[in-house]
Amino acid sequence: MSHIPEGELALYAAQPEAIAEGRGAEIAVHLAKCAECQEAHDFFAIREDDLGEDLADPDTWEPIIGSATQASLMEYGARVGEEDRDAEFLLEPYLKNPITAAWTTILAKRRYRTGGVVRKLNTAAHSICESKPRVALTFADAAIAVAEALPDDLYPARAVYRLRGTAWKERANAQMLLGQLPQAHESLDRAERAYGKTPHNGLGLAIVALVRAGVLYTQSKLDEAMVMAERAEHGFAHAGDAKRRMDAAFLRGEILLEAGDANSALPIFRRIIEHGENTQSASWIAHGSYGAGNCEVERRNLGEASLHFHRALVIFRKNGPEPDRVFTDWGIARVMFQGGKLAEGIRRLRDVAAEFENLGMVTFAAEVGLDISEGLLALNRPTEIVVLAEHLFSTFTNAGILTGALSAIAYLKEAAAAKRLTQGDVEAIRVFLRRAERQPSLQFVRPPQTR
Amino acid sequence: MQVHADEAKYMTAPAQAGEGTPAAFEEAYLQFAPLLRKIAVKKFGIPMSDAEPLVHDVFATYFTHADEVNDVGPYLVGGICNAARHHLRRADARDALFCGEIPCAAAPTESILHEVERKLLLRRLLARIGSRCRDLLHRYYLIGESTSTIAGALHFKPMTVLICLSKCRKRALEAYHSMTEKPRT
Repeated sequence: MSHIPEGELALYAAQPEAIAEGRGAEIAVHLAKCAECQEAHDFFAIREDDLGEDLADPDTWEPIIGSATQASLMEYGARVGEEDRDAEFLLEPYLKNPITAAWTTILAKRRYRTGGVVRKLNTAAHSICESKPRVALTFADAAIAVAEALPDDLYPARAVYRLRGTAWKERANAQMLLGQLPQAHESLDRAERAYGKTPHNGLGLAIVALVRAGVLYTQSKLDEAMVMAERAEHGFAHAGDAKRRMDAAFLRGEILLEAGDANSALPIFRRIIEHGENTQSASWIAHGSYGAGNCEVERRNLGEASLHFHRALVIFRKNGPEPDRVFTDWGIARVMFQGGKLAEGIRRLRDVAAEFENLGMVTFAAEVGLDISEGLLALNRPTEIVVLAEHLFSTFTNAGILTGALSAIAYLKEAAAAKRLTQGDVEAIRVFLRRAERQPSLQFVRPPQTR
Repeated sequence: MQVHADEAKYMTAPAQAGEGTPAAFEEAYLQFAPLLRKIAVKKFGIPMSDAEPLVHDVFATYFTHADEVNDVGPYLVGGICNAARHHLRRADARDALFCGEIPCAAAPTESILHEVERKLLLRRLLARIGSRCRDLLHRYYLIGESTSTIAGALHFKPMTVLICLSKCRKRALEAYHSMTEKPRT
């Protein structure tokens, strides 16, 4: 039996209508009998529905033949990269030595007016925001000055507004940490307006919502803070930003805890722990455990609280950050305290207070001091409270914190010396210190005398 | 809290090039542009000609602040959803940025993700099959030239073109299926 020529088989398979009708019928009969030709036919008759469609799509060919979009974006990407390299070089001496006076001079120079300079300043502000908020504010102000001077159409897609939004957001961050809370809201309004002009990007608005939640939380406007934190969490979910989504969730937990609703806060922290376990993030496991521990303390489940705190402690001891480790030790001391081990609790609290002082976190040292005062009050050792208050007073003075917090500590000493200090007084001082940390202009009002 | 299964599928692989560098931008573009186009076209019904500028703008915005983005893939998908909604003016800007559903109803479906994954594989494949085959497939499938036009240009007989085409396709398909681990039956 002679076989069908390969070329004819290929034509029959690909374009059967090109074969004469009679010949087509002959081939069909042959194929039914000849496995070898059938195999060759099948080779040529590859069904194209899965491959042909993809091969006809320009997307498939883009890396090979390019596209107008790709060319335009790569040109833009190269420009952004170049701007960033230039900015790195231009700003290096100023970022190392951020003297405010220098900024006015350099910002007047045209070569500093680039998107790269704004990006670099925004990044610099963000990186030092918590440790040096005043310097961060300087950077953010410089970033705003440059960003606002850039032409609106400098970048495609109105992306210059993204830079402006971030500069204002960094300003708000720094202002929040400096206790300039109304100003922080104003900066956030500006950031929101700028971000709102780039409709492709919900991330910026979600970040604004998160920072605003933080400002409102600092102002003790807990209901409003909660609304904003929820909005931020929602926005991060849509922007696919799992890390920031957890940041927002953590803040929600903190807000609920601050509002005295540990029962509602606990599931949020458990969710954070679960997220940490699923993503193998020790940091989230530790932070979630710390939050859950605080909830269980409030719920008087001291055994549970201790388990959570110890889980967090193992991670913070290994990976840091050091302040979070000290906060967790504080939690463990509080568990002891509430479990009735007052002497042991006080000893541990003294260690924690000393560690906060070493870290320069004097307000937290004072808060721990108030926990100690409560214990000493319960043990009827007011003289030691006087000594403790004197120590706190000098710590604040040495740290240059000459705010209403000093008046509060002075009152602690005075009331303890007069043996009229109550648990209610200690709690009032605690609430004030927390607020004064972020709002230095607050004035301490003495609690009404109850006896 | 677990990462939703649909979200996990387009999580970004660890970046190969440094973030914020032109190489990283190109990598992100080549990896995610097809997905963004598919979402705009298939999920939002936006014509390709309108979808292309949206894809462009989403990437341009990303390039401007790449260092703020934690996970590029989900970020870009969120960006194209917002851009598409804004384009269609189906909702006001506020709703567009924070629509009510999590995950977003416009998140890519299984079939879109599979299609894009197939296409990305095919791209890698085309880079490997040799310039002659690539040229032939390009002319036939993308440009839509007939076998006789190709034969004329290459000084082949039309039947030779058909045979070459089949062989190239077969080679491509076999390599493709071996990469997808789904051998053709």
